[in-house]
Amino acid sequence: MHYERQIIHLNVADFAVAVERVCDCRLRERPVMIAAVATARAVVLDMSDEAFQQGVRKGMPLRQAQRRCRDAVVLPPHLDRYVRAMQGLIRPALAWSPLVEPADDNGHLFLDVTGTHRLFGPAPDVGWRLRREIKRALGLDPIWTVAPNKLVAKVASRLVKPVGEYIVAGGEEAHFLAPQPIDLLPGLETAELRQLFDFNITRVGEIASLSAAQLRVPFGKRADRIHDLARGIDPSPVRPGQASRPTVSFDHIFAEDTNETRGVENILYQLVERAGATLRDQRLATRRLGIFLGYGDGVQTVRQATARMAVASDFQLFDLARLALGRAWTRRVRLRSLRLTCDRLTRPPAQLELFAASRQARQNREALTAALDHIRHRHGPASITPGRLLAA
Amino acid sequence: MNHQSSPTRRPDCRLLVGTSGYSYAEWVEAGFYPEDTPSGDMLPLYAGHFPIVELNYTWYQMPRAEAMERMRARAPEGFLFAAKLTRVLTHEVDPGAWPLQAERFRDGVTPLLQAGQLAAVLIQLPPDFVRNEANRGYLARLLDALAGLPLAVEFRHRSWAHDRVFVELERRRIALVAVDEPELPSLFPPLDVVTNPDFFYIRFHGRNLKGWHSGNMQQKFDYDYTDAELQQWVEERIAPMTNRARHGFIFFNNHVAAQAPKNAATLVQLLRASGL
Repeated sequence: MHYERQIIHLNVADFAVAVERVCDCRLRERPVMIAAVATARAVVLDMSDEAFQQGVRKGMPLRQAQRRCRDAVVLPPHLDRYVRAMQGLIRPALAWSPLVEPADDNGHLFLDVTGTHRLFGPAPDVGWRLRREIKRALGLDPIWTVAPNKLVAKVASRLVKPVGEYIVAGGEEAHFLAPQPIDLLPGLETAELRQLFDFNITRVGEIASLSAAQLRVPFGKRADRIHDLARGIDPSPVRPGQASRPTVSFDHIFAEDTNETRGVENILYQLVERAGATLRDQRLATRRLGIFLGYGDGVQTVRQATARMAVASDFQLFDLARLALGRAWTRRVRLRSLRLTCDRLTRPPAQLELFAASRQARQNREALTAALDHIRHRHGPASITPGRLLAA
Repeated sequence: MNHQSSPTRRPDCRLLVGTSGYSYAEWVEAGFYPEDTPSGDMLPLYAGHFPIVELNYTWYQMPRAEAMERMRARAPEGFLFAAKLTRVLTHEVDPGAWPLQAERFRDGVTPLLQAGQLAAVLIQLPPDFVRNEANRGYLARLLDALAGLPLAVEFRHRSWAHDRVFVELERRRIALVAVDEPELPSLFPPLDVVTNPDFFYIRFHGRNLKGWHSGNMQQKFDYDYTDAELQQWVEERIAPMTNRARHGFIFFNNHVAAQAPKNAATLVQLLRASGL
């Protein structure tokens, strides 16, 4: 028997702030911002709705945010609290369905309750009970939405933010999306949004009224996907367990915006060293490395480089990183931040080279890497530094 | 206690029987809807069986006029809707926000009202909403805020079974909902009191005593009325009620395994057999 999909999206708006407010109820009376205040270039990681209304945004330099919202309380992030709170959301959800996907570790999760009606009743009742349970147990008040797919459920959450609920019945997906502003639609890239605005397209329904062929002219291979998004078509499943696959990420914020290549590459190498050490500690290797660049004008770019076989040595990681950096860094605007992410993690593969020279080179690299790891474990991460990082 | 309104003969009282909600996947499994019927196609199919439905999704979510209009347009002309009042006005009341919520609800059901298809607004109050001064005050203000809509009030707590309550409802021309549910000491008793000459309103919840407090909808509303139980209602309550109002709206809330539409169809047959 075919069941119409029933997806519930739970979203605790301004999650970090919400958690902090549960820990300290005095914070409910004032605007709140979360920022790593100890860093030289602290940026806002999360903010309360009051701060948002005064123009504060995620990623905004803290000094700028404080000028906009002078009476805000600024707190450092307490990641352990947010992780525990997230677990507190996931646990009750699992009682209703094994298909629970934390969309990110930021107060969002999806549940697939398709076919559970005979056990638990209609999906809206499940959503309501789950919200009530979370509110009682954790003091957090999640938005809850019900829709036939993740895309529509997520847009509905964005619509009712910061609290509330929304039920989109089967067959209503396109009607629901049509009047919504296009920047509510997840899955559209920044450049695509800009293009749509250039075409004077501001509502999702205007995209939906175009055919895939018409969209192909400006958007090429992405046309079909955009066409589906605008009509509320999203067959992506709710992936249980850890939906965002394990990653290893490290960030750097430049003390001053820069476009000095050598300096950027040195920072990149430092991030590579940290990522490599983490991977090797966990007996993992990566097949894909991503570089996220934050420019001084607020634009962000991400590009990736993949390896045929998973790698974990600093040398191979750096080769990938430079490749991804070259793809990402295409503008003359100075850089403000750099993030390196390794995903598609796997156990290091057994490597069998055809040629003795290749095998020897690999063995030499592995020996050198192992030696470096040994020295750092014994004497600290800064105890030995590659020559490239010492050059002025 | 006894409450007798002046008997007004209504031999042409029109009875409409339906169910609480119509969009249930398990009704496809039970054969009420054809196999693989998507939820978007259920209302017109339902309307082929019954002339009225009680909307229960409006309890979970504030109705929105544009979505309400699209739903209304899928039903045949003349099909009637009863809309359950949203929970933020009954079960989760915010003292500062509720007046605005009442306006939003009114706006949301406007398409039904304007089309002449809004049979009633069901105000179902929670089991712990006892008859005390504060709650009486809130209910009075709520009824004022919703004045002009065809209102029906369902009390869950026994304390509201009082002549003064019935008199006030009669003054306001608001229907007292008659209920069938498990026999529990705190629950509002089944009565045939008619307080609105325009319509009376009956809800059959099922008599699943064990499931009533389970917190699980599938247990609470899992009940199949026997013909004898329904016949008793026809003879002892519905028949006298038809003498006191122009319409009677009767809903079955025992949705589990499509027992609601099955029992509703049986009741229709029994009513016809009784000449009602």
